[in-house]
Amino acid sequence: MFALSPDQWQAVSPYLDEALALTEGERASWLASLREQNPELAGHLQVLLEEHRALAQEGFLEQAPVAPPVGPGLAGRQIGAYTLVSSIGQGGMGAVWLAERSDGRFQRRAAVKFLSLALAGRGGEERFKREGSILGRLAHPHIAELLDAGVSPDGQPYLLLEHVEGEHIDQYCDRHRLDVEARVRLFLDVLAAVAHAHANLIVHRDLKPSNVLVRNDGQVKLLDFGIAKLLEEGADAAAATLLTQQAGGVLTPAYAAPEQIAGGLVTTATDVFALGVVLYVLLTGQHPAGSATRSTADLVKAIVDAEPRRLSDVVATADAEGATANSANRATTPDKLQRVLRGDLDTIVAKALKKNPQERYASVTEFADDLRRYLKHEPIAARPDTLRYRAAKFVRRNRTVVALAALVFVASVAGIAGTLIQARTARAQRDFAFRELSRAEAINDLNNYVLSNAAPAGRPFTVSHLLEGAEHIVGRQRGDPTTRAELLISIGRQYTVQDNYEKARRLLEEAYALSRTLPERSTRARASCALGQALSRGGDLARAEALLQEGLSDLPTDSLFVVDRVFCLLRGSEIASNGDHARQALERAQAAEHLLLQSSFHPDSLELDAMIVLAGAYNHAGRRGEASAAYQRAAARLAELGRDDTQMAGTLFNNWGTTLILAGQPLQAERALRHTIEISRDEQGEDFVSPTTLANYASALYQLGRLDSAADYAERAYAKASKVGDNMAISQVLLHRARIYRARGDLAGAGRMLAEVEPRLRSLPAGHIAFGVLASELSLNAQVAGDVSKAMELANQAVAISEASARAGRRSAEYEGNFLVRRSGIELQLARRDQALDDAYRALPLLEQGSVPGSFSSNLGRAYLALGGALQAQGKGNEARAAFRSAAEHLDNTLGPDHPDARSARQLAGLDTQHK
Amino acid sequence: MGVHEGAGERMKATISSLITAAENGDESAAEALFPALYTELHRVAKRELARQGAPVSLGVTTLLHEAYLDIAARNGSGPLFPDRARFMGYAARVMRGLIIDHARNRRAQKRGGQFEITSLATDVAENVADDRELTRISQALNELAKTDPGLAEIVDLKFFCGFSFAEIAGMRGVSERTVQRNWEKARIYLHRSIRADLSS
Repeated sequence: MFALSPDQWQAVSPYLDEALALTEGERASWLASLREQNPELAGHLQVLLEEHRALAQEGFLEQAPVAPPVGPGLAGRQIGAYTLVSSIGQGGMGAVWLAERSDGRFQRRAAVKFLSLALAGRGGEERFKREGSILGRLAHPHIAELLDAGVSPDGQPYLLLEHVEGEHIDQYCDRHRLDVEARVRLFLDVLAAVAHAHANLIVHRDLKPSNVLVRNDGQVKLLDFGIAKLLEEGADAAAATLLTQQAGGVLTPAYAAPEQIAGGLVTTATDVFALGVVLYVLLTGQHPAGSATRSTADLVKAIVDAEPRRLSDVVATADAEGATANSANRATTPDKLQRVLRGDLDTIVAKALKKNPQERYASVTEFADDLRRYLKHEPIAARPDTLRYRAAKFVRRNRTVVALAALVFVASVAGIAGTLIQARTARAQRDFAFRELSRAEAINDLNNYVLSNAAPAGRPFTVSHLLEGAEHIVGRQRGDPTTRAELLISIGRQYTVQDNYEKARRLLEEAYALSRTLPERSTRARASCALGQALSRGGDLARAEALLQEGLSDLPTDSLFVVDRVFCLLRGSEIASNGDHARQALERAQAAEHLLLQSSFHPDSLELDAMIVLAGAYNHAGRRGEASAAYQRAAARLAELGRDDTQMAGTLFNNWGTTLILAGQPLQAERALRHTIEISRDEQGEDFVSPTTLANYASALYQLGRLDSAADYAERAYAKASKVGDNMAISQVLLHRARIYRARGDLAGAGRMLAEVEPRLRSLPAGHIAFGVLASELSLNAQVAGDVSKAMELANQAVAISEASARAGRRSAEYEGNFLVRRSGIELQLARRDQALDDAYRALPLLEQGSVPGSFSSNLGRAYLALGGALQAQGKGNEARAAFRSAAEHLDNTLGPDHPDARSARQLAGLDTQHK
Repeated sequence: MGVHEGAGERMKATISSLITAAENGDESAAEALFPALYTELHRVAKRELARQGAPVSLGVTTLLHEAYLDIAARNGSGPLFPDRARFMGYAARVMRGLIIDHARNRRAQKRGGQFEITSLATDVAENVADDRELTRISQALNELAKTDPGLAEIVDLKFFCGFSFAEIAGMRGVSERTVQRNWEKARIYLHRSIRADLSS
């Protein structure tokens, strides 16, 4: 063993910086590659890193040395029957001393807390003693006993407390590696103690791990009920606030409830909140307001404003080292920990941490009851936030009066899209430039361009300018082909994300061709997968899938390539979605998420990419509840990263909007999509909004009966999609336009649109649901034109295609349901009453499946309308009215009560007698 | 602990100029700086504790902040005035010395059988790191300060004075990650020095 000489230290120092920034897992491979270049240096570093591991284990320099007691010595002073022995710390309220009973008969130790209260002149002594005696009645095995309270001869008030030897509850749990269940059980003891205090009208107000000790025998002891506010009615107000005024200044912000910070009413609910924070910390090892990196001001803001992340999300997204350590302390792995926390514990803690005290558990006892139910695997009383509640936070209800409507259904060929180009603010532009082009960022040339040339004279630059400039530089660049390929991939991906497929394909083809000559597997794989994804949007699914497989097979299963594998799996999920293989799309997205969860390295953008793709895959698989939850998580994560006006947020809201359209919630969809457009448009207009977003927005407007705006957006979407060569968006817009023409009574126009769609679908595989959609649209045209038998024939075709699609395991439920509803109407016209009733009944469970569980759906509303019609035709008036009532409820809530369909449903149900 | 009465007023006025002079290479200023800070810390502690309603003792970080505010108030924002980070760096070195002295005294007391330290958990962690270990750490820190003064200062602030990573990061205007990484580096250096010391 030798100490390092200054020269040696300076030589290894920069390498240590590098190594310490890596996770344990990454260090091994980093060392290995260093060893190839400089074996001697690598050897030194290895020794030092091993030393680091050892010193971390022994806790070297982790315990602070004892600070000298600065202040007048109190040792030996007499406090009641006790003699002060030594200072044992500085609590929130004042100094704490160890004292011994000194009457010689028996030895007893106590802790003396001196409160820094100025009592002089207020007749405080008596009052303080009175309060002390109330606290003294608080006898409970889990509450440190208050032995006495008084004022020392020199005017210093003190509390004489049971001396507890133990450690903070969080440290105790970690040291004993208690698993989640054991932690919950221990926490129940804490709740029992607090409940006892509450029953005695005493609120703790400052619950935190350092006030909850666990002795060596495992007994919990709560300290510091000394600052409790006495709730006792009729008590002298001055007396009741004496202690609490003091408490105001020493409050521990990390565990304070919003109302404490805002100066609101402090009640037992305040303790419920603090207990929620303690449980959060015990279960995750992290604070609900986020990492400990913040200033008090940020922390306070987070407590008042920010929704805490779910327990299960937090343990999954903590940095890898932290996550592993946290879960090891809980005798488990990050993956398992996440699974244990997900669901009931998420819900229970979220309820305790509600900003509004009235939404929290009404009592500590109820909190405890739910935890006990959780332990017994019984259903808990707290309800998770529903989609409606959560979505309402950004999607406020739209009560716009709508003009027209037709009995139509949602169908979107493409559904999920990348979006938008232009972030509105300068900050968001920088965000884009620096973060989204992260791979390119490494290249100095490009950096120089971004920093100096892209925005000459300080003018804001657009992303398009940036990309064009980047392309230009790549075009000029000679030299390293790997760098060049990586740059091409980055830029190509950006164009893909902006739905500019023509440019994307050109650049990615070039990247792919170039990458074939390269040895770097990562670059090769990324080029294949990125190109595959871009091609799948253009309909070349066979080559897309082949490229994906090529990319995946290029990647070793090594952890070094996890990020690339995740990238490829996500692109694979999108390819499968575009090929209408919902199950495969979901499997790939889940595999990507799983890898990412296990990996020690999660770049934010990849993590968000994965969240959004996974949500899309759930949506595509018709699992709307899970899709909504996934979008919710992604939106929360974006907000947390301060990226809520970036293009990624635009993509997210676009896709969420699409889900809402498919789930029959056009009002909410309109909000989400409008949000996307707002993010992506700049001062000049909507030039930078993606054609898919425009098309989706047109679709939402159409459903709401706002045909003029819908037509307007559909045309813009069409122009934009044609310009950038997005075939899928073109087909989608043509379908929307056909519907809009028909709704306006222009059957010829509608026919023209559908005729244009037909050849565009040829590149799709046989049996693709888009063929069903087309047949169904043609059927509607025929029905409106009066050719009912042709309409019937086409409706049968549509249903058959969706049935086959379902058998093949592809997404279909809401399509099949909607096709059946439509066919039911035609059957009714043909007086095939039994079939009409049959189809309506069959449609209901399918559409139920396609909506967000527990939410209203315009699709279901229309199915109930069809059912009511079929029942009425059979003379079953009462049942028909019941069906119409359901229809009215669904349509009121999804289209707005002023929508003609909602109105007519209410009239049919006999709910609305006023004819407008 | 001896508090140098009266010296405070004179010293207080000169601490900021001493820091500036020391940084400009004035060795006598550097020599004068530490006793001046030492006295100043005592003076502030005494004053704080004498205030009505004040706590019976002061935390280290509180003490340093108070001392800084005091000097800042006195100097206004004159050009000579050192920023908080620089001040804390010097003050933390002084604090290190005080803490080691204290640990020596405690050991002496313990040998005398006066009392055992009990570990009642409070906001300030109690610990039995003995003064010999602390002295070794201090010597190694002095060595480290010659090549990498920034790292040594982090140890003074974090280990001896109890500042959090966030606070140190805030003082220096760097990210918390950077502070943490530097802390880990410093620990490696110190651990290695002390072990080498012991095995030689």
